[in-house]
Amino acid sequence: MSAPLLALSAVTKRFGGVTALDHVSFDLAEGELVGLIGPNGAGKTTLLNCLSRLYRLDGGSIRFSGMDIAKLGRHEVARLGVGRTFQVVRPFRSMTARENVAIGALFGSDRARLPPREAFRVADEVIDLVGLGGRGHLLVDELTVPDRRHLEVARALATRPRLLLLDEVMAGLNPSEVAEALEVVKRIHASGIAILVIEHVMQVIVGICPRVVVLHFGKVLLEGDPSTVLKDPRVVEAYLGERYARRVRGSRGDG
Amino acid sequence: MRSRVLGVVTVAAVALFTLLPLTTTDPARAMGLPALLDRSQLRGLTTISMFVVLTSAWNIIGGLAGYPSFGNVAFFGLGAYATALLTDPDHGHLPLGVGLLASPLVPAVVALVVGFPLLRLRGHYFSIATLGTAIAFGEVINNMDFLGGATGLFPPIIRSDLLFYYLMFGAAALTVGVTWWIMRSRLGHGLVAIRENEEAAAVLGVDTTRYKIIAFVVAAALTGLAGGVFAGWNSFVNRDNVFPVDYSVQMILMAVIGGSGTISGPVVGAVGLEALIQLLAGGSGVYTQILLGVLLAVTVIFLPRGVIDFVIGRSRLTLAHFRRSLRQTSV
Repeated sequence: MSAPLLALSAVTKRFGGVTALDHVSFDLAEGELVGLIGPNGAGKTTLLNCLSRLYRLDGGSIRFSGMDIAKLGRHEVARLGVGRTFQVVRPFRSMTARENVAIGALFGSDRARLPPREAFRVADEVIDLVGLGGRGHLLVDELTVPDRRHLEVARALATRPRLLLLDEVMAGLNPSEVAEALEVVKRIHASGIAILVIEHVMQVIVGICPRVVVLHFGKVLLEGDPSTVLKDPRVVEAYLGERYARRVRGSRGDG
Repeated sequence: MRSRVLGVVTVAAVALFTLLPLTTTDPARAMGLPALLDRSQLRGLTTISMFVVLTSAWNIIGGLAGYPSFGNVAFFGLGAYATALLTDPDHGHLPLGVGLLASPLVPAVVALVVGFPLLRLRGHYFSIATLGTAIAFGEVINNMDFLGGATGLFPPIIRSDLLFYYLMFGAAALTVGVTWWIMRSRLGHGLVAIRENEEAAAVLGVDTTRYKIIAFVVAAALTGLAGGVFAGWNSFVNRDNVFPVDYSVQMILMAVIGGSGTISGPVVGAVGLEALIQLLAGGSGVYTQILLGVLLAVTVIFLPRGVIDFVIGRSRLTLAHFRRSLRQTSV
């Protein structure tokens, strides 16, 4: 069996006395689509920030295609092929949507890094792919909230990543917008890019991810296929509290 | 269409400022052409060109990369001292051409060294640190005996206003040209991305440290070149005339009023304000200072993206920006 694309082993991150991530370990294979779920404050975004080297680890290691991420600079992680979005969008506000995406294609992974003219051509393609077609000339402030989320995805995608980290790109969207966003994620996955989707809303994950990892208080609570994982009492408890979990168990007659 | 108009204006301006000073030369006089400039006006144009260099160079680090340096005058001073030291008869005694070669190199090396710690700071921390660094450089040089101490250095006098005009005008054209090239290259796009959101730029693969250092070094080299030309022109260099903090402030004022982050904004700001300063030079300096302050306030309130944005019709005179920023600060 070949080595995984991404391998986390005992990843630990502390903020003062708070241990945000506590010996987190899991793998992700080339082209795999994995969901990362967990209640608020579980450490999902912290984990993503460690993966894109915005944070330094306090313990453990992250290897991406065989390279130790701790030894790389932030931009080098991107050049290796890790693309990401931010939960709170961080667009380049003075630029149009198209220019934002072109930055991804101008820089990005070693497979991107196109000269300006070609970067803008690629930007147009990616803009169509994520459903922003016809709105590339607009300034970020002129885009709707869902479109700004799509722009985050487009910009990361234009870097031609091997692994795409999506941080709650569907939070705050209405059901039809979520459906659209899901289509985009499926399309990206179909093109062979591995994806780690962070989502607070579990229903989103169930439909598209063959495997999910549950994070709770900075630890991996469980991992496996979504239908099994979501029925697990520990997951129910983590999300809805102990009392609710007891009630569920009680109503099933096994509590 | 707009870019064609801009191109025509640029070519016309360059032709005008290249040819106009020639009317002061003896051959032109012999041909019976009227002198369209007197010597003091030619010197005025040289000073204007100098501020075009300083402002456009500041724009590379302050306007494009979004790192508002308040210490760029240090590079002007270092460039001036480099040229002065090499050409002063008591020191290097080398020709001006050789002295000028050193004027961008010394500040560039210094920017490379001080840039690593300074560019780790952001926003006003960066501004204050650069301001302090510039003052420190002035003080240290003022106290170094082999650099003439407080007396300064004296490059040989070359009596040719025309030569120094063309050198300074050339430096200005070079600075604008470099800016034009940067804005079309990967470097320029990366710098603007850093200005807009540094972490987002980094995760998209922009080597932020390297890009910021490059911008700082390029700005330093061009600023230093202006300092070198000034040293030859003025044939007297000391702390007070090549390390004035006023210059740092003026560069920023001119860039911001003109429109920082663009090619033409800093040029328009430098030409317009320096011409205004010279026109008002007959009166009291206090009124000039007051006027500049008022201009800055009015621009920031009504045209936060600078005059050039208004001239090319991208923004209108409204209070909308001001209201928005008030709302944002009160939240």
